[in-house]
Amino acid sequence: MAYNVLIVDDSATMRALIRKVLVISGFDIGEYFEGANGQEALGILEHEWVDVILSDIHMPGMDGEALVQNLKKHEMWRNIPVVLITTESRPEVINPFLNLGVQDYIQKPFRPETIRKKLTGILGEAITPDASETESCDF
Amino acid sequence: MLAKLKAVTFEVLETMYYLFPETLEEGEVVPSKGPYLRSWVAIAGPQSIRIGLLVPQSLARKMAANFLGTGEEEIYQPEMEDILKETTNMMAGAFLSKMEASTAFKLQTPEAQWLTAEEKKKKTPPNRLRFEVDDELMELFVEKG
Repeated sequence: MAYNVLIVDDSATMRALIRKVLVISGFDIGEYFEGANGQEALGILEHEWVDVILSDIHMPGMDGEALVQNLKKHEMWRNIPVVLITTESRPEVINPFLNLGVQDYIQKPFRPETIRKKLTGILGEAITPDASETESCDF
Repeated sequence: MLAKLKAVTFEVLETMYYLFPETLEEGEVVPSKGPYLRSWVAIAGPQSIRIGLLVPQSLARKMAANFLGTGEEEIYQPEMEDILKETTNMMAGAFLSKMEASTAFKLQTPEAQWLTAEEKKKKTPPNRLRFEVDDELMELFVEKG
């Protein structure tokens, strides 16, 4: 089963990297959508269905916290899994997001297998057979 | 503080770019030529500081190419700026985690600017560490915010 992914990060370069890492992680990706902040992400959700959202925290305009709060208020979007991809790992920063219902977080810098493990835990069986070939890649 | 910053810098460079820096001793010189790219992240809080990196354009291009897995000929200044800003952002985030800093310390948006060799000389901060990275010069600096 292919999954639609929404990547939310103000850095176009980081969005491109996450997308690439998802490919080499072996996930069966249907469509990619990208937003530079929470507002853009909500705009995409108005028109597209996504299975998982990978979001940064610090973004100009609507940040990650406001994005999650908006998602949780919306009947259609509140159950979409959200994984933070962030430079932050301080519990005081991360815990409020977990309390809001964010599934998990990945700290930058990260490795492809970290993303694969986290998404497998959330989405279930989505790994293609050759994914093991990328086990030792670093990002 | 500089030791912890050095540790997180090495971790970010190794994990994201496959680059393995070596610390330069006082007086050691690595030839480099401008333009230079300088990027920094302010950490606002009880003691505000700015953490940053300065690299020649040639190294910035190499980092961007490694990061994106593309050829260096496909890399232009906006990609280099984006990559160095993302690098300093990751360093600052990892640094705050390592220091177990309270939430009173907040990461600000990373910034970047291009410098000529002349401007680089004028902007050399006293608190800095110098590295050799893939035969290129890299400077890590900390300034009061």
